[in-house]
Amino acid sequence: MSKPIEFKAGTLSAMSAIIRELDNVRLADSMHTMLGGLGEFFAGEATVIDLTQLTKAPDRADWVGLLSLLRRYGLQPIAVRHAPEHLVDSARKAGLAVLSPEAGRMTGERTVTAPTAAPAPAAPAATEPAQASLDMTPPPANVSTMIIERPLRSGQQIYARGSDVVILGGVSNGAEIIADGSIHCYGPLRGRALAGAQGDTKARIITTCFAPELVSIAGVYRTFERGIAANLAGKPAHAVLRASTAGQQTLNIETLQLD
Amino acid sequence: MVTRIVVVTSGKGGVGKTTSSASFASGLALRGFKTAVIDFDVGLRNLDLIMGCERRVVYDFVNVISGDANLHQALIKDRHCENLFVLPASQTRDKDALTEEGVEKILNDLKHMGFDYIVCDSPAGIEHGAIMALTFADEAIVVTNPEVSSIRDSDRILGILQSKSRRARDGLEPVKEHLLITRYSAKRVDEGEMLSYKDVQELLRVPLIGVIPESESVLQASNAGTPVIHTKEEDAAAAYQDVVARFLGEERELRFVNFEKPGIFKRLFGG
Repeated sequence: MSKPIEFKAGTLSAMSAIIRELDNVRLADSMHTMLGGLGEFFAGEATVIDLTQLTKAPDRADWVGLLSLLRRYGLQPIAVRHAPEHLVDSARKAGLAVLSPEAGRMTGERTVTAPTAAPAPAAPAATEPAQASLDMTPPPANVSTMIIERPLRSGQQIYARGSDVVILGGVSNGAEIIADGSIHCYGPLRGRALAGAQGDTKARIITTCFAPELVSIAGVYRTFERGIAANLAGKPAHAVLRASTAGQQTLNIETLQLD
Repeated sequence: MVTRIVVVTSGKGGVGKTTSSASFASGLALRGFKTAVIDFDVGLRNLDLIMGCERRVVYDFVNVISGDANLHQALIKDRHCENLFVLPASQTRDKDALTEEGVEKILNDLKHMGFDYIVCDSPAGIEHGAIMALTFADEAIVVTNPEVSSIRDSDRILGILQSKSRRARDGLEPVKEHLLITRYSAKRVDEGEMLSYKDVQELLRVPLIGVIPESESVLQASNAGTPVIHTKEEDAAAAYQDVVARFLGEERELRFVNFEKPGIFKRLFGG
């Protein structure tokens, strides 16, 4: 007869929340600025609160408030690492595991940034360079491409985390498609498309019918208030970040020859 | 036959949901199907006026949900069609009186009473009343005017149908979508003022079940309390007949979508 419970030791992948100030009000503000627009940015990832870079340790910490704040954005705090001695007891009472330096060691860390952290508009003329918040860290290991078989309707938002997305059927006005990788739209692209959401500047937005409200690659975005150029409107096209002679990145929209 | 629940919805207000619900339900009843048409617009009820039974309303939808009355007492037999029954909305309560369990029970009771089709006339918007109307739908008729804001709102309601209907939530076969374009003017399309039905269909990407031309007969019908489909020799009535036929799987060519310029004599001498 098998035992009802068994214990095994192993390694776990987790998110690190590197907190430099244990001031919940400032943390809330900062998180709102970084992640505010995207309600489900995190998906319940097990999170380690990392206090290695704490500039000044307060006398007491409001752990309950901090855990509630992190959970609001979809993070699930499980442990704290490098907690100052006098905060260890209260951390344990709040239900956090207190990791020793060895136990709390992380390998293979990568920076995670929100897609609209510091959006920089591409200049109106295609030749002018655009400011880009370039995060040159490689994107997360490729998860299999997300494929959406129906049109994306007004008011809907899809986020393909860690992969490309293929959408068959188009993206309506008022709909939003976001991907860490590239966006491939077979059908009219009329809504907003944000590729390279975590900073992958090599991501592209490719569509068989170019008519979007906004396109963005790695935070460099462009809207089309004055309309879309006649050679692009409704035609197969792709948006790509190209390096200009000044060494900066410009968001170009180029036609595609499909036949 | 298994009862089918059809929601008539749009998102946008004033595009012809109630007008269409009334004619569509009447059309099904005229074909011999036992049909119920329910007004989900709690507080702003219109279906009873369009059907011409406003003076016979004793009990309403909310009365039945709260148990003040049973369905037999609330259902009003239509005076134009043998097989058609109207369940009016409450005028005095508000939409919170509609609960999902309450609505589900009524629809199940209607199924047990042997109804073939249940047509749900949705209110405008995307709030509780509209959600309740589409929650249990098997099929949806999305009423759209050939006009940008109506198209945008129809798109929105299509997205909501795909995510908030019971079929979507339970992972069943998705709600079957039909596009019904109303208030169409072939003349204005020809003159380049109005979007054509092809443009609308291209934007919404939903199969077209019919095009109802703009018609003065619609206002006259609603004043008279008689659904348009009963009006003889009227384009709008014929168009609704086509819609019912296509819904039931028959092939009908699209009428009233081509504008023929009147000949020189007609233009000179009128007529």
